[in-house]
Amino acid sequence: MIDNIIHSALIMTTPVLLAALGGLINRVGGLVNIGLGAMMLSGALVGFLVAADDGSWPLALAAAGLAGAVTALAMSLIVTRLGADEIIVGLGLNIVVAGLVRFFLKSHFHTSGTLGLPAVTMLPRYDLPGIADLPVLGAIFSGHDILTWMSWVLVPATVWFLARTRAGLRLRAAGAAPGPARALGLAPLAIRDISSVYAGFLSGLAGAYLAIGVVGIFNEGIVAGRGFIALAAFYFGRNRPVATAMGALLFGFFDAIQIRLQGRGVPAELVQMLPYAMVIVFLTLVAVAARRRAQKVDVHD
Amino acid sequence: MTAMPETALAASAASGWSRRAGTLALPALPVVLAFALAAIVLALAGHDPVDVYGQLLTEAFGSRQRIASTLAASTPLILSGLAIAVAFRAGAFNVGVEGCIYVGGLAAAFAGFTFTGLGPALLPVALVTGIATGALWMLLPGLLRARLGVDEVVTTLMLNFIAISLTSYLVNGPLLAPGAANSATPMIADAARLPRLFSGINLNAGFAIALALVVLYWLWGRWTAIGFETRLAGLNARFARATGLDVPMLIIRMMLMSGAIGGLAGAVHALGNVHRFVAGFSPGYGFTGIAVALLGRGNALGILLAAILFGALATSGATIQLFTDVPVEIVNILQGMVMIFAVARFGLLFARRKAS
Repeated sequence: MIDNIIHSALIMTTPVLLAALGGLINRVGGLVNIGLGAMMLSGALVGFLVAADDGSWPLALAAAGLAGAVTALAMSLIVTRLGADEIIVGLGLNIVVAGLVRFFLKSHFHTSGTLGLPAVTMLPRYDLPGIADLPVLGAIFSGHDILTWMSWVLVPATVWFLARTRAGLRLRAAGAAPGPARALGLAPLAIRDISSVYAGFLSGLAGAYLAIGVVGIFNEGIVAGRGFIALAAFYFGRNRPVATAMGALLFGFFDAIQIRLQGRGVPAELVQMLPYAMVIVFLTLVAVAARRRAQKVDVHD
Repeated sequence: MTAMPETALAASAASGWSRRAGTLALPALPVVLAFALAAIVLALAGHDPVDVYGQLLTEAFGSRQRIASTLAASTPLILSGLAIAVAFRAGAFNVGVEGCIYVGGLAAAFAGFTFTGLGPALLPVALVTGIATGALWMLLPGLLRARLGVDEVVTTLMLNFIAISLTSYLVNGPLLAPGAANSATPMIADAARLPRLFSGINLNAGFAIALALVVLYWLWGRWTAIGFETRLAGLNARFARATGLDVPMLIIRMMLMSGAIGGLAGAVHALGNVHRFVAGFSPGYGFTGIAVALLGRGNALGILLAAILFGALATSGATIQLFTDVPVEIVNILQGMVMIFAVARFGLLFARRKAS
């Protein structure tokens, strides 16, 4: 029972964590990405199509990441080169991509909503010998696929990248102070575009995870708002990778528990509200704390 | 200074309308560009774009009955566009109108099937219930933005999902119609229905309400002190503060106003079209409203025309899907692209490149 919940919570965490880490890098680079869901959706569709008919899963992942990256690049260029507002472009992108996907399903496959294809290659899951049979530890560490491992390896890697590398410093500079960064010879807009492409790539993988890692069919609603959950996760984590991962994990647990609570008479809709409500509460607490600090400083002056 | 969270979002949201929409391209350009790109999508799928657009035009405006359904479809869009424009004027970006439509629609429908003893007073009571609920829904983000500097884009966006889940819980549980298997409330009483404007034509009084609000919005922005103050606060919050305006209070009031109009949009949709509340109540009116407000550049007449454009697309798109094999989603593709291109500054493409 506990093992089941842990295992499915980790599975539900993976797509959110991938997209959230991408969105985090994007935001550090100076672009708040509201379009993560659109990138997940295009990744899910492309990954699913490539994996069908006994396709190769590494190829499917690569194609999904590419689809997400291209979607992100289109969005980023409109924001950085045409001076468009990122929030509006992100919301618009979600509408356009959802429309394009449904349009494509109807005109190409003559189906609306759900697409099932024969012989979809699923992401392989690996059982770790010796650990797989242990209680709790087995559920945490064993029986996962490459994307889950990758998403968790990316957490310390992102910390290290932002804090310790030259590229990380440049990314932070481009996001926090584009003017001075330009004066130092950096190209902040190009850096921002690259961070968007990275976010799109990870979101595309996250989408493919949903399609060929979890369910094995494609549905127009497969992303189910996870792009916004990812946004909630890095807002919750205030751009810090570890806190963001904790947020994603919490949301993964909500997702896993919700399925079980449904059977016990707790309405799923109320559980679904929790991640979003938590973000509002959390942002409020942060603002209150910041105001307290500011007042203290005033007194000491 | 208030303690602003160090987000780029908060900084950009602070200057609202002026920053987000003050530099729009010619209003026609985004529409032309969106139609051109959608034509490519249509052609790739094997349709003749000219033919499809011609059919859309005929279906939207080809007869009195069709014009009436176009105007009916544009009614919630006029209202949600106004809701967004009002907040924009004050420098607040309310992404949460969709949520207001949900809670306002449910509240209005609830009043409409509960207080059936009120007789002719039922309709106004139901409308006011929807308006008040929508306004209350925006109280929290308004207060948080004005008093604590919490980014209203994030809070209102999150509140959308809360509103959709909450109303969906209510219509599946406590407010589910007795005997109904699907997620819907009971039908509202006849007295709560918005009457038709002309007999035999499917256009209800909701459109008249929306038109009246467009006029009020124009008067408000042009002739009232608070309209002027709002514009001032939206254009330059620091200057407005220096002249003695209580900018935070103004933002709260305009967020409440925005929520009220969003709630009205939900109420009009519930009492005029659906006649009850169902799960999946709004097909994204609150988001299309953003495109409407942007394309209309916050201008009363512009909002009206943009809402009619999107209303025409929605109603004719649904019709041509029935008679041809062109998927109705072409309408969403157009809407989203208009929204994106409405804020793109194409002039930058031709501007001399700065040393960057």
